[in-house]
This record gives sequence, C-alpha cells and structure tokens, in this order.
Amino acid sequence: MAMNRRDFLKVAAGSGLLLASDIKPANATMPKELPPQAVGILYDATLCIGCKSCMVNCKTYNSVPDGALYLKGRDIPYEANNYEKGIWDAPVDLSSRTVNIIKVSKSGTAVNKDSTENGYSFVKQHCLHCISPACVSACPVGALKKDPVNGVVYYVENRCIGCRYCLLACPFRIPKYEYESASPQVRKCQLCNHRYAEGKYSACCEFCPTGASIFGKVVDLKKEAQKRLSLKTGAEYDFPVQTVDSKYTMRRPVSKYINHVYGMTEAGGTQYLLLAGVPFDWIGFDKNIKDDFLPDLTWAYISKIPAVIIGVMATGAVTWAITSRKNKDKGES
Amino acid sequence: MNQKDIKMMTPTTTVLIFIMAAGFLVAVYRMLFGLGAATNLNDLWPWGFWISFDVLGGVAMAAGGFIIAGAVYILNWKKYKPIVRPAILTAFFGYLLAATAIFLDIGQSFRIYHPIYMWQVNSIMFIVAIHVVLYTTTLASESSPMFFEKLGMTKALNLIQKIMVPIVLFGVLLSTLHQSSLGAVYLIVPSKLSPLWYSSNLPYTFLVSAVLAGLSVVSFEIILSARAFKHKLPMDILSGLARGSLIVVVLYFVMKIWDLVTGPGLGAAFDGSTAGNMYLVEMVIGVILPLILLSMKNMRSRSNSIYTINILVIIGTIVNRMNVALFGLAEYTGRTGADYFPSLMEFVLTMAMVAFAVFGFKVSAKYLNLFPETQH
Amino acid sequence: MKDIFKETDDTSASQLERLTERDLSRRDFIKFCTGVAVTLGLPLGMAEKIAEAVTNPKRPPVLWLSAQECTGCTETLLRANHPTLEKLILELISLDYHETLNVGAGHQAEEARIKSMKENKGKYILVVDGSIPVKDGGIYCKIGGKTALSLVQEMGSQAAAVIAIGSCASWGGIPSADPNPTGATPVHEIFKSKGIKTPVVNIPGCPPNPYNFLSTVLYFLTLKKLPELDDQGRPKFAYGRIIHENCERRPHFDAGRFALEFGDEGHRKGYCLYKLGCKGPETFNNCPIQLFNDVGSGSWPVGTGHPCFGCSEKGVGFTAPLHSPARSKYLTPPSIFTEVYPGKEGVTPGVKALAAGVAGVAIGAAGAAMLAGLGKKDEDKKDKEE
Repeated sequence: MAMNRRDFLKVAAGSGLLLASDIKPANATMPKELPPQAVGILYDATLCIGCKSCMVNCKTYNSVPDGALYLKGRDIPYEANNYEKGIWDAPVDLSSRTVNIIKVSKSGTAVNKDSTENGYSFVKQHCLHCISPACVSACPVGALKKDPVNGVVYYVENRCIGCRYCLLACPFRIPKYEYESASPQVRKCQLCNHRYAEGKYSACCEFCPTGASIFGKVVDLKKEAQKRLSLKTGAEYDFPVQTVDSKYTMRRPVSKYINHVYGMTEAGGTQYLLLAGVPFDWIGFDKNIKDDFLPDLTWAYISKIPAVIIGVMATGAVTWAITSRKNKDKGES
Repeated sequence: MNQKDIKMMTPTTTVLIFIMAAGFLVAVYRMLFGLGAATNLNDLWPWGFWISFDVLGGVAMAAGGFIIAGAVYILNWKKYKPIVRPAILTAFFGYLLAATAIFLDIGQSFRIYHPIYMWQVNSIMFIVAIHVVLYTTTLASESSPMFFEKLGMTKALNLIQKIMVPIVLFGVLLSTLHQSSLGAVYLIVPSKLSPLWYSSNLPYTFLVSAVLAGLSVVSFEIILSARAFKHKLPMDILSGLARGSLIVVVLYFVMKIWDLVTGPGLGAAFDGSTAGNMYLVEMVIGVILPLILLSMKNMRSRSNSIYTINILVIIGTIVNRMNVALFGLAEYTGRTGADYFPSLMEFVLTMAMVAFAVFGFKVSAKYLNLFPETQH
Repeated sequence: MKDIFKETDDTSASQLERLTERDLSRRDFIKFCTGVAVTLGLPLGMAEKIAEAVTNPKRPPVLWLSAQECTGCTETLLRANHPTLEKLILELISLDYHETLNVGAGHQAEEARIKSMKENKGKYILVVDGSIPVKDGGIYCKIGGKTALSLVQEMGSQAAAVIAIGSCASWGGIPSADPNPTGATPVHEIFKSKGIKTPVVNIPGCPPNPYNFLSTVLYFLTLKKLPELDDQGRPKFAYGRIIHENCERRPHFDAGRFALEFGDEGHRKGYCLYKLGCKGPETFNNCPIQLFNDVGSGSWPVGTGHPCFGCSEKGVGFTAPLHSPARSKYLTPPSIFTEVYPGKEGVTPGVKALAAGVAGVAIGAAGAAMLAGLGKKDEDKKDKEE
C-alpha cells in the first residue's frame, strides 16, 4: 500500500484545486438591490372589500399556457377564460391551484373594518417577489429564478427535482407543491409575467374594483405608498385603480394607516408592498421575519468552503506525510 | 466464527426480507401515485419523517466511515485497521439508504441527476447533492477492495490500493463538508426554527455530532458483529474509540451549551414546551449521560457499558436530527393549523431501509472478507 | 309565493270598478292576512289574529299628515295589491285625513281631522310623510295656516303610534340634502327635541316598498305593539339586512364580474353594478326580496340595470354621489374567508404525538440499554475480550 509521497502530493493538490474551482464567484452572489425595471404590486388593505375578484381572475388568466397555474389537459377546477366552464373552488389557503388568496383576520364581533378592536382586515397573500429571494438561493438546480430586469421570481419547471427546499426556505410560506400529482410542480404567483409581452399586467390588479391592488414599477409604488401615509385620515384622495399611474381613480376618504409599508425592508425588501390599517403581524406576517437577506445566512457558510477544501487537503496531506514517515522510521510499512 | 459458519436463513433474516418486500411495494406505490398518496406531507410540512430520520439520521450514522478511514490512512493509526472495512461498509450502506430515501422523497425522482449539471451555487442543497454523489462514489471506491478480492480482480485491487490514501483524504474532505452542510440547510429559516437549535453554528454542531455518532455507530457495530458472528472483541480498539468519543462529546456539549446560553437562554430548555422537552431528551440521552459515563475509566473499558453508551449516543443523535427537521419547526407551523404525522407507508419504508442495512451487512459479512483478522 | 294572492287583472279600469265594489271574498281576505303574516315573518297561525283585528267593525282610525313630501309615498300604496289601496282604506282602516285622498277639502277636511282627533284621542295611528321644515319657525310648509311643525307635534302627541313613511319623514330625505335650506328634519328628531314620547316607526325609502308600511300597520293593529325595531327605528323584518346580502347579482360580485359602463358586455350580461356605484353594500332594505309592483323578478333598480343609490339610507341617499363606490357596511360574515392563522398557538396534535412517540421510544430504549449494560459486573461472561 506504499505510495510515493511525491505522487500522492500531486494527486492531493490536483484534486484540491479541482474542487476549489467548483465555486464560480461570478454567479455566486444573490441580488441585493431592486433590478432596474422592477415591477410589483401595492396592496392597500384599507381599500380591499374582500370581493375576491383578484382570486378569480388570477385563476382565469393563469390557466393559459405559460401561466402560473397552467397544466396541459386540466381545466377543472380553474375557471376557463369564458366564465362558462370550470368550477371556482373556495380555497382555504394558497395551494398548488391557488397562488393568490384573500384572507381575513378578525377579533370580537368583527364589525369595524381595518380595526383590531371588534374589527377585521383583509389581506391578499401571494408571492412577495423578494429582492434577494430565499427560494431562488435555496433551489439546488436553479428552477426558481429572479428576472434580472423586472425582478419577477419565476419557475422553470423542467429543472425542478421536487426537493421542496423552496417550501421550507420561504419565510412567507408561499411556494406550494402538487402532492396530489405523480409528476408534481411547485406553484406560486409569477406576477403574470406571461402577459407583459402583450402589454398587459397582473390580472389581480386589472380586475380589482377598488384599487386595493395596483401594479406598477416598484419605485413608483413606493412613492405612492409613502404619499398615502403622509395624507391626513379622512381627507379625500383619488386612489388610482389598476395601475399606479392610472387616470381612472376612485375618490374616497383616506383611512387610518399603520405608519409602515410592509416590504420596504422585510427579508431584505420585496417587490410586493402592503399598506394596512392594522399591524402586519395581525394579518399574518410573521414578526420574526427580520430585515436580513436570507440567502446571506447560507452564503456565510458556503463562502468558507474553498478555505475548508484547501485546509483539509493541505492538513491531511501534511499529516499523512509526517505520520507515514514516522511509521517508516519505526520500521512499519 | 468463520464466514462459512454464518447462517443466512434465520428467522431474523426472514423477518428482514419480509419488511424489505413491504418497503419495496411502498416505493412502487409512491412512484406510481405520488407523494400525497404515500405520505402525509403537505405544503406546511414539506419535509417529514423520511428527511428527518432516513436522510439526516442516516447520514449522521454513516459518519464512521470517514473517521476510521481517515484515522487509518491519513493519521496512520494502524491499530484501527481491523475495523476499516466494516466501518466503510456501514457508511456505504448508510449513504445508499440516504440516497434511496432522497430518491423517493423528491417529487421528480427521475430527475435526481439534475444537480450534476444544473448548478446553483448559492444553494446548500446543491452542495449537499454534489457531495453525496461524490462521496457515494468515494465510498464505493473505498469499499471496492473487498469486492475485488472476492472477485479475484487483482489488477484492479492493486490499482485501488495505490490511490487509497488520496481517495480517503478526498472522502474526509467530502464528509466534513456535507455533514456540516446538512446543518447549514437550516440556516435559511431563522424565523421558523426554534432558537433552541437555530444558530449560525448549526453546520459545526452537526459536524461534531456526526463525528460523535459515527464513532458510536462503528463501536456499536463492532460489538454487535462480535456477538452475532462470535468474534473476539477488540477491547483496545473499543477503548480507543471510547476515548475519542469522550473528547468529541465534551466539545459537542460545550458547543451546544454555548448556543443555548447565548441564544434563548438556559430556561428555554425547561419551559415545558414540546421543543423544550425534546431538547432535554436529546441532550440528556445523547450528550450528558454519555459524557458522564465516558468520563469514567471503568465504563470505557468494558464492552457492556461501551455498548450502552453507543446506544445512548445513537438515540440522541437521531432525536437531534428529528428535532431540527421537525419538532423545532412545530411551534412556528402550529399557528397555521397544519398538522403532520407520518403515514403508515412512511414508517414501513423507513423500517425497510433499516432492515436492508442490517440484511446487507449480514450478507457482506458472509460473502466478503469483512473481518480478515478474525478468520482462521 | 307572491303569486298566491296576486289579483288576476290589475288595470286601472278594474281598480276603479273595485273602488265601488265592496265585496271581499273570505278566501281573498284570508289570503291577504296570510300574506301579511308571512311578510312580517310571523308564524302562519297569526293570520287568524290579523283577520280578527281587521274585521273589527270599528275600523282603526288613521290620520295621515303630509309635510314636505312629493306624494310618492302615497303613490307607492297605489301599487300595492295585497291589499289594494281601496281595500285598505275602505275595508281595513278608517283613513280620516289624507290630503290627496280626502273627499272633502279646505275647512271641511280640517274639521274632519279635528273631530277624529278628539274622538280617537290616544288611539289613532298617525302616518307622516315628508320632512318637517324647522327653519324660520317652520314657515316653509303650512297646512290650513298652521305650520307642519306645530301640526306634527299636536297630532303626534295624541297618537297611539306614529309611522314615518318614506325617507323624508324617517331621516330627512331629499329636502334635507345639502345645503338643506328649509331645515328639513325627520319626525323622530322633532319628537325628541320636544319631548314627545309617542313611539315612532321609520319606514324609509324613496318611496318605500308599500308592503313594509302595510305589514307594520297590520302588525300594530293585531298585536297592539310595534314590530322589533333597529337602532334607527326601522322594523327589522324589512330593514335588518343590507341589500348586498340579498341581491340576485351577488354571485357576480363574489366572482369579480362587474359591469364597467352602462351598455357594455358586463352590463348586458347582468353583472354586478358595484363599480357603477351601487350602494347596496351600505343600504339597509329588502328591495331585492320584496321587489316593486308585483310584476315579477328584476323589478327593482338593480334588477333593471341601474345601481342602487341608497334611497332609504341616511348618509347615502341624496348624500353620496350616484356613481361613487359604496363604503361597505357589514361585509358578508367573515366566516367565508380563511383566517390568516386558522390554528392556535402551539404545536399541532399530530406532531405532538410524534414527538411524544419519539421521546418515548428514545427514553425507553435508553433506559433499557442502561439497565442492561451498566450493571456492576466483575467479569463479562458473555463477551470474549482480548
């Protein structure tokens, strides 16, 4: 079992270098800023009336090829485009067939809108399209990608191996899985990016009657959100409907807001921003979610790997050299 | 007992074969009808029994291979040479089973090779996948001498022996990385994992506990084989392993207490919550009791007590892995109302995998020269 | 259900005929009483009691004071079929004073009023329609030289009960719309400020459904008390729910199908009119159930394709712009939405059971191992040791 020490060191060094070259620094860093043309949605819970038009139209317009809910040969239980076919199930949570849902949080008699005292508030739950998405960094095969231009986090089905690490990693519990299928996919909102080419935008925003959900560039949405927070409660304001720069507006009094726009900093920042009249943890946003970029937590470990490789190989080689010389000196083979 | 004296068809073996057959049927059902049909996994519990027990627990148990191989080939501690083969074979089975569990757990099983050419280097799962592939290959190479001997392939045998040292070093590297990587998997869920376990030290505590578990599994398996196949017990090896375990368990204890005290505080373990109680189970059985026992010289020198300590460490490690993967996430998931209890099929498949390991080991003991020093 | 007691032909000619005819078949009468009982949500056995009350030879006296009104509330009673207006005033009640329906006029009418008030003091029902102007001493509405303000106090204080019919009498209605130049005030506010204790029932609407009024009257006559009222004095059987809850277009609202413009595809398909400013979500009334004119389904504003403008609701009708979006009150019971956190704090039972199981097996195995392996033995007989 003797091996020439020189040969051994050659092999050890070679394999060490080979491994160290594994890590490509170029695509190693996750984005930390909003992409240049980042688009998103601003949801104002005080305007939401719980009509669920956004849910219905999300299903309708995502059941087409390239949509987030498309599956060849399946049009039940989705509503097809012409309202006549299909069933609209009443989902109780986001699932493999529901990528956008309206939920309610209530207390006591639940008669006061946007109040925590005997009140209720709606919340629209779907993918927040984080600036530095945990799901994108978690996926071993890059089946979830963040568009470098518009920032939409989208799914590349033919890469996915179904490990479900993205389900675990997402702090907002968004991606869902088709456990009922033998060839399952991950499902989540993709901001209707399949409609951008024809000049359209997210269906939920297009069909929201009150302007609770509006689509637009994230920089504009942030400005709009800050503006609303600066208005006086009760003052009349022309809320844009459908898109942030829409000429179609609804005039109504400004409600009392919690002075915070959710998504500015949480999880490092998201492209889906929310305003509400009640605290955000009251409507389902875990207060343990900090402002840290989640992929950084893993990268803190991964970035040490090249050092470990070199360290272990070097230490191991040296140790072997020393101990086998010792053994040789002692007369053992 | 010589190899030829090992009886294959015992009642135990029959039971094992029966369990393996049941497991095979479950695997087929899972492949045909999907995860929802075979398991109770759901969107809020995406990882359950198979990941926590079979994959995390199994990989931790298989750490003995790289430790003993490293000790023998890199540190040149020839005293442990007699147990290299069984240690590596145990590790090999452990990884085969972990790989099988992964194959069955991922939704698109036949795409399991994707990480080989679809890289996403920010993902710790990617790192784990690559390492498991490479390490299983490495283990196969490390195990190959037994097979080459049996098959009389002397040329291949000589070649492998020549490059065994770099292979072993490579195996040590890979094991270090992926044992800690499995801990690093949970770094991305600070808001979900109980602070009793969540810390930035997760990779390092996983590595150290894997080393501890590996040593215990090797020792356990030596004693078990000696009793089953009627070998003499190599007390100096066992005591040596016990001494090594003592050092590692002290280190592990310090790391865990450090995490506890600088994290949620000592009181969190005693607050009566499910997480707190499971933490105590893990620590008392898997760390504190072994630490106390190993520190006593007479406990380290008798095979009965060593056997007990090994069992305690193995139990403790498995409980730790299940805590990180399941019970540590339970408080967070509770508010969603989503529940999880493994289905019968999940239990059956796990039992079948353990049965396969036991059965496989026995077959190897009979047909491969696993214990060359014990043969007359 | 309404068909049971629908008259077979309702042309104005036949109405005129029946005005002179005093025949009421027993069958029709019982049908009517049953109809009223059902409208009021009373058990069917009440029909008998109602029948008794109205066949009292001394028909209960009713005085009708019209203030700042358009006569729409009287007109609406003309559209009632069960009972028809003539059955009501000729058979069921003794309408001793009504500006539009009086046979006499001028001094004769006023004398009839005063006579009835004296004879039936404390027993008559006062119906008021129109709002009461209070500005400048109430001169903006005078009847026979007396202000409506003084009349309503005089007549109201001696009545057994007051029914304020129509939005104007209930909360001010159209005369009270900004800037309210006449100081139009509803009846109950007048009573409150003047300390008049006579109970007031408000039947808002512009005009209200006649059956809301008729049922209330019959209820009072039968049971000698007013039906259950809400905090605005409206009978709960008619004004207990918002229109949104009973609207036949509600499924379209729930499914997000809206008409966006008059005449567009959504409008022609009968989709929800919320986006056109329908005030159904903030208006209490029973229009979608009762409908108007007994001509079948769809005979109410939304049914014809125009959004409800909240004519019966204070703060909505004649106040909110026609096409501005409604501010929803009492959105559908939140029970149909999922709660954000449907579970409770703490660990779910299945996981808890698994944890207990794992802990149990772990402790059991550990205990067994310790018992077996840690016994004090000088020699191990089982193992051959080197």
